[in-house]
Amino acid sequence: MKGTYLGEFEELVLLTVGALYPEAYGVAVMDEIKKETGRVVNISAIHSAMRRLEDKGYVKSFMGGATNERGGRRKRYFELTNFGKKALDEAQSMRAKLYNRIPDISFGQS
Amino acid sequence: MSIHRKISPPKLANWFLRFYCRNEFLEEIEGDVFELFERRVEESPFKAKLLFNWDVLRFFRPSNIKQIKKSNSNIVNMTRNNFKIAARVLWKQKTNTALNIGSIAIGMACFILISLYVKQEVSFDKFHDNGDRIYRTWTEEDYGEGQRFFYTSSPLPLAPTLEANIPEVEATVLVDYNSFLVGEGESRINERVAIVSNNFFDVFTFKVLKGNETSPLGRNDIVLTESYALKYFGSEEPVGKALTVQLGGERLAYNVSAVIEDMPRNTGFQMNMIVSNEDMERFYNPQAMQAWFNIAPETFVLLKENTTEASVEAKFPEMINQALGDRVEEGQYVLGLQPLEDIHLNPDFPAASYPVGNPNYVYVLATIGLLVLIMACINYTTLSTGQSIRRAKEVGIRKVVGAQKGGLIWQYLSESILITACATLVGIALAFLLLPTFNHLAGTQIAIPIDVQSIAMYVGIILLVGIATGIYPAFVLSNLKLIAIIRGGNSGGRGAGIFRKSLVVFQLLLTIFLISGSLVMRQQLNHLQNSDVGYDKEAMVYLNMYAKEGANGLFDRVRSGFENGEIVKAKLEQYPEVTNLGASMHMFGSAGWTSMGFSDRQGQFRQFYLVLTDPYFLSGFEINLTSGRDFDPELEIDKRESIIINQAAATYFFGTEDPIGKKLPGDDFGSHTIIGVTEDFNFQSLHTEVEPLIISQNGEPILQGISDININSNPVPKVFFKYTGQNLLGVQDLLEKVWSETFPNEELAFDFVDRRLRLMYEDEARVNKIAGVATVISILIASFGLLGLTILVVNTKVKEIGIRKVLGASPLTILNILIRQFGLQLLIAFIVSIPITWYIMNQWLSDFAYRVNIGVVVFLVSGLLSFLLMLAVIAYHAMRASRINPVNALRVE
Repeated sequence: MKGTYLGEFEELVLLTVGALYPEAYGVAVMDEIKKETGRVVNISAIHSAMRRLEDKGYVKSFMGGATNERGGRRKRYFELTNFGKKALDEAQSMRAKLYNRIPDISFGQS
Repeated sequence: MSIHRKISPPKLANWFLRFYCRNEFLEEIEGDVFELFERRVEESPFKAKLLFNWDVLRFFRPSNIKQIKKSNSNIVNMTRNNFKIAARVLWKQKTNTALNIGSIAIGMACFILISLYVKQEVSFDKFHDNGDRIYRTWTEEDYGEGQRFFYTSSPLPLAPTLEANIPEVEATVLVDYNSFLVGEGESRINERVAIVSNNFFDVFTFKVLKGNETSPLGRNDIVLTESYALKYFGSEEPVGKALTVQLGGERLAYNVSAVIEDMPRNTGFQMNMIVSNEDMERFYNPQAMQAWFNIAPETFVLLKENTTEASVEAKFPEMINQALGDRVEEGQYVLGLQPLEDIHLNPDFPAASYPVGNPNYVYVLATIGLLVLIMACINYTTLSTGQSIRRAKEVGIRKVVGAQKGGLIWQYLSESILITACATLVGIALAFLLLPTFNHLAGTQIAIPIDVQSIAMYVGIILLVGIATGIYPAFVLSNLKLIAIIRGGNSGGRGAGIFRKSLVVFQLLLTIFLISGSLVMRQQLNHLQNSDVGYDKEAMVYLNMYAKEGANGLFDRVRSGFENGEIVKAKLEQYPEVTNLGASMHMFGSAGWTSMGFSDRQGQFRQFYLVLTDPYFLSGFEINLTSGRDFDPELEIDKRESIIINQAAATYFFGTEDPIGKKLPGDDFGSHTIIGVTEDFNFQSLHTEVEPLIISQNGEPILQGISDININSNPVPKVFFKYTGQNLLGVQDLLEKVWSETFPNEELAFDFVDRRLRLMYEDEARVNKIAGVATVISILIASFGLLGLTILVVNTKVKEIGIRKVLGASPLTILNILIRQFGLQLLIAFIVSIPITWYIMNQWLSDFAYRVNIGVVVFLVSGLLSFLLMLAVIAYHAMRASRINPVNALRVE
């Protein structure tokens, strides 16, 4: 099915959105990714990824209330949908399944 | 929050963000970048601003950009729909589309290449900033009795006189060329050096790449082009280096002051080394600097703004009067101005150093290019008109649901525009692919420019060609009668058929014309190259002899060159493969033999050509004598006084009298005797008749008697010989050996006479080649068209053929019917082409003094060729149609 494929970066963003609930918005996701993985990502890439995820139905978003920060501009908060959670679960279980099938010999010395 | 002074993000970036960003995303995006900025600004405001800009730029991606206001106009939607339908129709009829696109693409490629060549020729020196104010002077002296001189070079005192007397003259520039030995020691090369006024670069616009940009032409400065800087200095920095130039007997160290871009192809100033003429005495002798009747460089004049040519020319007579005084009478010496941009393609003015092309060839090529394109367009028109019956139902339905005529026309036009656009793209790609071949064939160095201007031009061409090809089919289709269509049956009027057929005839006519035209051109060219010129040109080699150092004055240099020639001759004689050895001042295959004039005893002005030779000139070139004898190498008197004239001179000077033993009919000639008359051998180009020529070993007796001399190119004596060795490449080794023994410091320059002769007809050969290629292309296009029409006719005649077969017609009869369809058109085209070809080609041939006659053979060959071609194209489909099972054709389900 076109558009439901979960890319590596998308998966990372999706995970972060889930982890940050209920405070996941652009800059926060960027900071979290940097903190957890060390990857420096441009904010625009985060926006694009989140918008793509929303199009695919993995996350939903709403505008937060006005604050005094950032010149009074509101934030767009993202949270996981059930579908998004399911996609993560599937990715996780597929990975685990394959991981478990790795025979020990292939590690050589260990 | 930060307490210190509030720093706001860059305004420009913020404005840009607001400008492009979609409203629904603006708030969050702006919020995020602001947040980041506020965080970063505490560390470093500069970096924060920089990153802010960067972030804004990174957000500039399609998903964030505002949609341009969506319009819902009917025109736009219908146009989109039209193009969609067009694409579907074209895709459905693949053969047709391929034939159409193929022929228009080929035609377009041909047109693009030829038009680039034509553009180069017509754009000569049109790029100068002051180009419209620059003129070249010309002079016409007329003393009556045929003593008329018309030239575009000018005497040296002219420029200062113009500047002093005519206030409208802003600047004058002298341009002259001469050959000097450049470099040191072993690597001295004979180079053509431009000698110009030091304001050359102020008046003409040439780009100085490095070095002194403001005044590169000082007394001892030399300016090089990029490629010459590379030639002499390699990768070293050329500016500031010294370069030795030998001027006459003197060696001067010039200082490289600047490097300019290589001269573009479309300028008449083909210079590679430029020096200033500030120190006139270096280049011209003192008498010449005062003389009004000694002509040397070309004088270019820059007029002040808002000055007309005529108003300046009106002041010339008075100026001439003052400058020349009583030396000339009223109207005998007329000075004028010729616009710079006019020089290259105006053969009415005699050429000086500035090259003059033949405008006829440019027009011929432009016409050919256009014709080929028109043929391609005709293909589309005939094919799509032919298709109209197939699409009649579509038109009918459209009309029933309310299509207006205008809408229908636009619909079919968009189809033709679409097809032209595709074809043009393919054509441009083809042109790119074929460019090297074209340059090789035509001896040009054009490039296909990619800039806004040419892209706009291509778009223009697409629209123009698309509309031109589509307009007729569009009208035919939109004019179909609704009732007739719906009821079925033949709906096209007779008129459409006739028009279509005449287009086919026209196309065939062009093809046949191009075939016979290029055949005639080929014949003439072969005639020029193979005709008997009256002397032996096969395997004749010649090499230039330079003067010894210290030789001053023209004739001193010639004499000294001849002396050097004797040394080389003595060495060459020892080789068995060298025969027919001799020396001469001029050589066949180069223009500009020295011509002279004098007034004879009746006061009639006479002009003739003079060539100084050694005693072996006639025997070496195997030129026949009609009467008298050849020079005798043993006789001293032959070295001093004997002269030989050609038949043309004998008739010119003596009419029917026998000239042997007589003298030239002038009073002041030194003692001389005519000892022989040669046959008329063609020492110039075959464009002209053979002119009077005097052959002598000693120039002095002749020079004493003349009143006028015209030396176009610096006469450099040449040693010539016939090389009888097996391998012509051996010449080079042999000559290099002899040369390095004799003149180790000079550059060897040699050539073959027959090669030089071929070069003289280079223009003709080039046009012939391009025309030949265009002919092949036109044949291709016409075949495409015929093929398309055959398929069409076969398809519409399926039922007819079926019935005929049922009634017992043989396949041959059916083939016959189909061929007759086009045979008549071909016959008409052939007949009409004969007078047209005959007239046009005779016009072209009238340029030559020695020409072929257009024979019946040409027409027979081109007629036969086109018939066979048609047969080949039609045959396959006709055969298929005649073999088809009539049941399949006639059965109606």
